[in-house]
Amino acid sequence: MFLEINQIKKAFGQGDSRVEVLRGIDLSLEKGEFCVLLGPSGSGKSTLLNIIGGIDSADSGEIVIDGEPMSHMKEKQLTMYRRRHLGYIFQMYNLIPNLTVRENIEVGAYLSNKALDVDELLKLLGLWEHRGKVPSQLSGGQQQRTAIGRAVVKNPDILLCDEPTGALDYKTSKEILKLIEQVNKTYGNTIIMVTHNDAIKYMADTVVRLRDGAIRDTVHNERRVSAEELEW
Amino acid sequence: MKRNPLNNRFLRDLRDDLGKYVVIALLMIFTIGFVSGFLVADGSMVKAYNESFTKYNVEDGNFRVQRRMNKAQWKSIEGLGLYLYELFYREFALDNGSTLRVYQNRDQVNLVCLMEGEFPKKPGEIAVDRMYADNNGLKVGDTIRVAAAGGEESGAGSAEKTETAGEPNPGETWQITGLVALSDYSTMFSDNNDTMFDALKFGVAVVTPEEFARYPDDTLYFNYAWKYADPPETETEENDRGEDLVKDLSKEIRLENYIPRYANQAIRFAGEDMGSDRAMMELLLYIMMVIIAFVFGVTISNTISREAPVIGTLRAMGFTKSELVRHYMAMPLLVTLLSALVGNILGYTVLKNVCAGMYYNSYSLTKYVTVWNADAFVRTTVFPIVIMAVVTWGVLRWSLGLTPLQFLRRQLRRRQMKRAFPLSVRIPFFDRFRMRVIAQNLPNYLILLAGIFFANILLIFGLALPQALDHYQEVVENNLLSKHQYIMQIPLDAMDEDHKLVSAFRMMEFVSETETENETAEKFSVYVLRTPTDSPYHKEDVMVYGVQADSRYVSGVPASEGYMQKGSAKGEAAGGSQSATGGETAGGSQSAAGEEAAGGNRSAEDAYPEVLISKAYSDKYDIFAGDRIELQEKYGEERYTFLVKGVYDYQASVCVFMEQKALGKCFDLGKDYFSGYFSDTPITDIDEKYIGSEINLESLTKVSRQLRISMGSMMYLVDFFAVAIFMVLIYILSKIIIEKNAQSISMAKILGYTGGEIGKLYIRSTTVVYLVCFVATIPAVSALIRYLMKVMIRLEMTGWIELYVGNKVYVQMLILGVLSYAVVAFFEYRKINKVPMDEALKNTE
Repeated sequence: MFLEINQIKKAFGQGDSRVEVLRGIDLSLEKGEFCVLLGPSGSGKSTLLNIIGGIDSADSGEIVIDGEPMSHMKEKQLTMYRRRHLGYIFQMYNLIPNLTVRENIEVGAYLSNKALDVDELLKLLGLWEHRGKVPSQLSGGQQQRTAIGRAVVKNPDILLCDEPTGALDYKTSKEILKLIEQVNKTYGNTIIMVTHNDAIKYMADTVVRLRDGAIRDTVHNERRVSAEELEW
Repeated sequence: MKRNPLNNRFLRDLRDDLGKYVVIALLMIFTIGFVSGFLVADGSMVKAYNESFTKYNVEDGNFRVQRRMNKAQWKSIEGLGLYLYELFYREFALDNGSTLRVYQNRDQVNLVCLMEGEFPKKPGEIAVDRMYADNNGLKVGDTIRVAAAGGEESGAGSAEKTETAGEPNPGETWQITGLVALSDYSTMFSDNNDTMFDALKFGVAVVTPEEFARYPDDTLYFNYAWKYADPPETETEENDRGEDLVKDLSKEIRLENYIPRYANQAIRFAGEDMGSDRAMMELLLYIMMVIIAFVFGVTISNTISREAPVIGTLRAMGFTKSELVRHYMAMPLLVTLLSALVGNILGYTVLKNVCAGMYYNSYSLTKYVTVWNADAFVRTTVFPIVIMAVVTWGVLRWSLGLTPLQFLRRQLRRRQMKRAFPLSVRIPFFDRFRMRVIAQNLPNYLILLAGIFFANILLIFGLALPQALDHYQEVVENNLLSKHQYIMQIPLDAMDEDHKLVSAFRMMEFVSETETENETAEKFSVYVLRTPTDSPYHKEDVMVYGVQADSRYVSGVPASEGYMQKGSAKGEAAGGSQSATGGETAGGSQSAAGEEAAGGNRSAEDAYPEVLISKAYSDKYDIFAGDRIELQEKYGEERYTFLVKGVYDYQASVCVFMEQKALGKCFDLGKDYFSGYFSDTPITDIDEKYIGSEINLESLTKVSRQLRISMGSMMYLVDFFAVAIFMVLIYILSKIIIEKNAQSISMAKILGYTGGEIGKLYIRSTTVVYLVCFVATIPAVSALIRYLMKVMIRLEMTGWIELYVGNKVYVQMLILGVLSYAVVAFFEYRKINKVPMDEALKNTE
């Protein structure tokens, strides 16, 4: 397995106000697999994503990525782990306001030794004409595409997407999902996407439903539906 | 190596926040430029000064005799291993109230540096000292005139013949052909015994030999300079030879005056003073840099707060903390580097001249050549960058120490406020709002407080010093011991131990000739001691006055019966135990607690002479009634201890008062011994040759006059820096507050609040904090500046000037503070009006 998640537990607060957010999550993903984490607000899906991404820590359990366990990594090693293996896409685009589209993507490329060609990626993302613009000159969809470019250009082993379409309209959301799908197919990255949009589950290889910090069920789709065909 | 695309932000940041960077850079450029200019001018001038000894063949010393030496005397003195040079001069009182000491132009020793114009070529022409000309508004081509007889008296307090100066040629004029610097008068001491030089009322000049030959012998001072044939190699050797030489010379000739170069203030003072301000200037630079670095720190914190989600994303992507620290440090360092370079260019060009001008205002220095000063460059470039790097690095390590998730969630406070602090609803809404703005920006306001504190120190110093000098002049004028103080001069031949008979006769003659009929005259004795050599402070002479028991001029001097019967002030008994007591001997003071050890088994009340000390002495060294003071022979090691019984309200000098007979006993002076007269009217019936000097208002206020000239321009500069700091700080901090609240301001506008109302909320909070900080820091600043001034005067100056801070200073401070605030607030109000309403509706990018 490329990614193994064993008995991950996480709680916030102490005493009476202690809340168990993750109650022992087990999950295994193959390289190139597209996984959707589904669940209502507070189910623990974003927390799990952040722990996989090394920006949050588990109270117990272990995550092993490509044979490398994360649990005893110090801050610097975690940073290097993120740098080498991960790409992040958030609901908010968090672009650097005074860098152009191209430069924002180059920020991601700077971190990788196996970076993709920026020009090609710009074309793939449909941002070629906008490459010289700064984020404030772009629409929400264009900004999110730039954010995807920034994450993908690293050619990361795992692409972590936290509600990437949460702030977008239907049409733009579909465009973004198509793009992620295309990236997955083109570059073979493992993708873990957090969403509360039930329709998105059909485009995944594996769908993990979470409720109250535990996995309710894990479904392996026989056939992935293309993003184009999704309706909600 | 890959180029970091984040670097593309630098120029855009600079363009987007030009105002902020420009004001900070300007403040740095002027600070660095001024300090660089100062260090360069100082270094270059010190070098020129040091080289002037060789370049202008400066004397190893000079002495004065009553009559022109004959050939035999000349020969026998040169036989002592010296080369002798005539350096005769004559003094003239000019109609502008000053005294001009005129020499014939020199071609062998103490050569003259021509600063402007040309040397005189014929009688009637003169080249005057450059600084004297500047201070008296004279220039090449002007005419100067000797005062008419009975006209204005010389005010320079010059020794001996000054009073008669000018009489032989009233109305005589010279045309100024050039401005010069005499290498043996870099500082205008008319008399080597003066405590302060006088660049205003005393000057030197040179004329042609033909012109000088016109002056009759009886109007001349027969001064001779010497150079050692075999120059001493070390300072100690120079001192030893100087001390031996005076004995040898006394055997050959009757000396009126003897000044080896190492003791010649006119030659040495400037050299010792130059360089002493370096530490202060460097400290000013470093404090300014720390403040600017913290201002940058605040702006960085604000940027980090604004860009928190971006930082969180970058950290999540794998940017290390160090990479981001370096990224955010780059602009402050770049701006500092550029400012340092521009500052240094200004320092080496324009500001160097300003700083050199300050020296030229005080000293008559020869021309200098600007020399590259690597040390100055390091101090004004590397040090500021290091300070900036350390402060911003610290701020950034702290600010970026949060986890990526905290940045993504904008949880930037380490300790989250659980809930808003409660405020009564009875407090009007606008006031409550302002309170919350203040609470939100507390760290920024703490920086403002520190900045205001420092700026107020500069401001109070810049404003108070000129007024303190005026106040000093007033106080001295109002509590003079007497309107005139005459110090008698015993002829040197009355003290000639080799010719005792002549000496006794001269003394008798002196005693009878120095009696006066003036009814206001009252005899006093004076003996000059100095502060102990082991004092940590600047050594200074202390005049010990012996006044009559029922003196009308100095009242309340303690009776000396006990001391007269059994006491002794001499150090064998008392001084020997000083170190054992561990008592402070700084200003010569010891607490009475050490008496038992010091006085052995004697009663301290009887043992030491009881004295009053002047208020200046008390204020300067914090000595009060009940303390003991220890002083030392001016030219010896013997020490004397005195018991302070009170403080006499006299601020003009650091001195001691005791009963005249006690003083006689203390210093083994005869019972008829006296030194001079206090008098409220001029004494006219004593031959002037017996009057060594007169201490009057003019001579006592030399210090304040000189400080006013030499530090006048500096004070404006200090004020400028203070106001600049106020404005920059307020500008940057109000800008941050507005930027931080741009969304709220925009939303308030959408809700219908006017720009003025919003300004009241956000600007007035800063106004309130500014005014509170401004007023609240004044007492502390006032106390601190007085303390610093006291320390500085103790360490560097003789005499005492209290840094009087009058109400006028506070009013001026307030006006300047409020005006500088108002200017900035005006622009900030405009900025609030410019915040667009769609700001509140925009995405956070």
